[in-house]
Amino acid sequence: MRRFEYHKPETIKEALGLVTSLNNARFIAGGTDILVALRQKKAEIDNLISLRNIGELKGIEYGDGLWIGSGTTHTEILKSRVILEHYTALNDGVKNLGSRQIRNVATIGGNICNAAPSADTACPLLVLDAKVLIAGINGERWVDLDGFFLGPNKTVLDKHELVKGFSLPLFPKNTGSSYIKHTRRAAMDLPILGIAARITMDDGKEGATCREARIAMGVVAPRPIRAYETERFLVGKPLTEDVMEEAGNIAAREATPRDSIRGQAWYRKEMVKVLVGRAIKNAMERMGL
Amino acid sequence: MNGDVLSLVGKNIPKKDAPLKVTGQAQYIQDIKLPGMLWGKILYSRYPHGRILNIDTKRAERLPGVKAVLTGSTIPDIKIGFMKDNPPLKKGKVCSMRDEVAAVAATSPEVAQEAIELIDVEYEELPGVFDPVEAMKEGAPLIHEELKSNVLKLPWKLICGDVDRAKAESAYIVEDTYKTQWVTHCCLGTSGCIASFDVNNNLTMYSNTQIPSLAQRDYIDALNAFGLKNKRVRVVQSVIGGGFGSKLDTYPYEYIAILLALKTRRPVKILFTREEEFFATSPRQCTLTKISQGCDREGRLTFREMEMILDNGAYTSWGATTPSVMMMPISSLYKVPNVRYTAKCVYTNNNYSQAMRGYGNPQATFAIESSMDQLAEAAGMDPYEFRMKNANEPGEVTPQRFKITSCGMKECIEAVAEKLNWKEKRGRHNGRGVGMASLIHVGGGARVYKSDGCGTIIKIDDYGKVDVFTGSTDIGQGSDTVIAQIVAEVLGISIEDVNVINNDTDVCPWDVGVHASRTTFVAGNSALYAAEKIKAEILTIVSHMLGEDVAFLDIKNGVVYSKRDKEKSMPLGKALRSIHYATGGKMLMAECFYDPANENFDREFKGNLSVSYAYGAHGVEVEVDRKTGKVKILNYVAAHDVGRAINPMLLEGQIFGGGVMGLGYALGEEMVYINGVLKNGNFLDYKIPTAKDVPPIETIIVETVDKDGPFGAKGIGEPGLVPTAPAISNAIYDAVGVRIKDLPITPEKILKALKEKGAEKLDEA
Repeated sequence: MRRFEYHKPETIKEALGLVTSLNNARFIAGGTDILVALRQKKAEIDNLISLRNIGELKGIEYGDGLWIGSGTTHTEILKSRVILEHYTALNDGVKNLGSRQIRNVATIGGNICNAAPSADTACPLLVLDAKVLIAGINGERWVDLDGFFLGPNKTVLDKHELVKGFSLPLFPKNTGSSYIKHTRRAAMDLPILGIAARITMDDGKEGATCREARIAMGVVAPRPIRAYETERFLVGKPLTEDVMEEAGNIAAREATPRDSIRGQAWYRKEMVKVLVGRAIKNAMERMGL
Repeated sequence: MNGDVLSLVGKNIPKKDAPLKVTGQAQYIQDIKLPGMLWGKILYSRYPHGRILNIDTKRAERLPGVKAVLTGSTIPDIKIGFMKDNPPLKKGKVCSMRDEVAAVAATSPEVAQEAIELIDVEYEELPGVFDPVEAMKEGAPLIHEELKSNVLKLPWKLICGDVDRAKAESAYIVEDTYKTQWVTHCCLGTSGCIASFDVNNNLTMYSNTQIPSLAQRDYIDALNAFGLKNKRVRVVQSVIGGGFGSKLDTYPYEYIAILLALKTRRPVKILFTREEEFFATSPRQCTLTKISQGCDREGRLTFREMEMILDNGAYTSWGATTPSVMMMPISSLYKVPNVRYTAKCVYTNNNYSQAMRGYGNPQATFAIESSMDQLAEAAGMDPYEFRMKNANEPGEVTPQRFKITSCGMKECIEAVAEKLNWKEKRGRHNGRGVGMASLIHVGGGARVYKSDGCGTIIKIDDYGKVDVFTGSTDIGQGSDTVIAQIVAEVLGISIEDVNVINNDTDVCPWDVGVHASRTTFVAGNSALYAAEKIKAEILTIVSHMLGEDVAFLDIKNGVVYSKRDKEKSMPLGKALRSIHYATGGKMLMAECFYDPANENFDREFKGNLSVSYAYGAHGVEVEVDRKTGKVKILNYVAAHDVGRAINPMLLEGQIFGGGVMGLGYALGEEMVYINGVLKNGNFLDYKIPTAKDVPPIETIIVETVDKDGPFGAKGIGEPGLVPTAPAISNAIYDAVGVRIKDLPITPEKILKALKEKGAEKLDEA
């Protein structure tokens, strides 16, 4: 493994100063992606700047909406009652990510900034309308998460910027969300496919129709994507078995998966058909319908 | 043996070295460092098949800290392995990605790694062949040109009775083709060794081999070939982090360490990374099997015919002899009078294969037990009834001339059916189903080598504390504890008073190795007889001291006593001191070399391979998600005829471990080689089950008390994974009506089969 210098700033300002002044520098949060890349010689870095000691990046706040600091670990997210109750898809995404050891150190900011098509928090955050707060030496800017990802391991982040955290809105009462991670194993696995859904219904009564829908898919494209056509199809409809099945078919058309040793394209498409409906059903169950 | 008065045999005694392992005190090869030790590192091939045009080592040699660089042309000409086809460092040609091309010794692992990257090798890439069927075709690239064929000259062929006539007379016949995949052992402890020469060129090898005596022989042969005649070799085994057959041979890296140590005159350690453990150790070979079986109108098996092709990879290890062990289930799993079997091992440009737990039996049993269900269906019989009708029984002599002594196969099948609630749960075809499969395995040693023996030396001190020197290795399976239990039981002392030494060829007697589930039986008997010898000597002397007939004396709780006269007794320590501290005194020692009365196969591959045979049956209830193809194990029952459980807890550990390994084999594990390149050499993409994937496994221990086993025990090391895959496959068939004939049974395969069958629509209608 290549030798590197390790820096431990305590403020965002200090971290941004270091990343601008040091040669060939990268941020490290939990290190569960970047250290693997270093060992495998897929990354060549001279300076690692740790975000671990920056208090400003940590924590979950709930008020007008939800704020999750980028340095919040998956274990911390898993312990949040607010997230379990109101942002359930994110709880789903975090609970089977890696292993307990990984969840203890890996951060949500790292998971998003690594921008893997299989990132377990990406689809949940997409359906939960997350906005990303980015800090750079010249100030801060907000980006919709959907506009944040560019491709595999590529984001809109400039190399001298970092993500401060994620802002999620409050959702109306008749809202439920879910994420299904389709894997070969029950733990320590990456998804063959990830499907997230958020559904807001008109009211809680029988025969209600869908007011707002969000469907996101992982591992079906170079980046986690929203299934916009599927979402439009769902709005205004009662969510019957037939509607959910058709939603799955539409989503499958929006998906462009590839063959890989982790799963074949045809299988991933088939699973989109099946799991979109199941994800919607899970979301509905969570709003008590 | 007097089963009613046993005090240690049959008890759950924790493994003796467990505290050391749990606290991190156990010394694995990873932990061992010698003064002045260098680190060796290997450069592997860049192509699966190619000519080596030039190797330039100059840049590596100039790197500070590098003490030696070796290539195929700078070492003596030797070839290792079962067919002597494998040079430790390749010269002229590479035949697989795992081929060792050059090696360095340096002052640190980092420098060694850097040096490896500085070696420039020029290749001319050659067309490769990666499928054994392709490799047998006319004009296929030859792996070893001098052999003129890719088919190994190992004519595996077993013929019993008249298969053609039986075929003509059968009422029902089924025929199919089954495939199994490459899988690897996944030992927690990666491979490694340290080679160290003294000033007289005697070699000490620190190793985690599971065949210390045969490895010693291999190293001596190598030293002779290097021109070092008549040298001593000592093999010292560190604590071994799993074997499963992976350490049943000696490998290029060990010879490379020896050559580097010889060149540098310093100890050299080679330690594999996890990546190397995946791509540079030898996996279980994949197989292609054609099987047909028939039965008469009443459901009695009439014949079994199998043809098999095994991917040998580029070189040959002991693993090429797995067809000889496959013959066991093929000829003797159930009563089948007519048998025909042929197998070909074929060279390809894949990594070379080796034995793995079950030694061919899992591959053969997958085909046999899947086919048994097919045949039962063809004959209109319940697979359970069909198995019971054909099950082996005590006293039988099988077509391969196996003499079946103890046999609890029927009890195992019955127990599994009962626990699974078979009658009620089978045949519902509603997404849930049950399946079962049985097994036979050698349980009383296996004469695959010229000797199947194991030696034991016992000495006892002035206080009744015992040292047992056994040839047999503990690879985590628990032989250290089982041997101690046997000796303590015989000598009437506590288990804490028995120390087992099993890791040094300088002091331990010969043993053929930890394989064939033979350790409890062979090493156990060896220890048992040695302990009985020393006990007889003690009792004879004490009978004079106490004035009691020796026939009435025994030892219990460390006291020699008369069974008929309570007054006549003496603490064992006191007796021993009296024997020692006298004119012409004596310290007691005893030895035994036990070699079971089993037979090597004759030219027709017939003979009584083992003194006794282990049986078992596994049953599974599964739930299959018809939409995703995912399989959930709801219930898992494993029944094993073990003769006698010497330590039920360790025995269950073997069954759990085997079951989990079998589960991985059945449902997830597969080394994905694409054109000879391993694509998933890591634990993320190689799907070994995690703790969360393992269902509760219910064990049923059937005790048939084998007449030849130590206290009646038979082997249990391998059986646990033999019937797992077919049991699961049969259950999936019962659940959703599709049979997957190539392992692993992935959701993709199930879904594809369901779609082909149109089963989904039928179900919805």
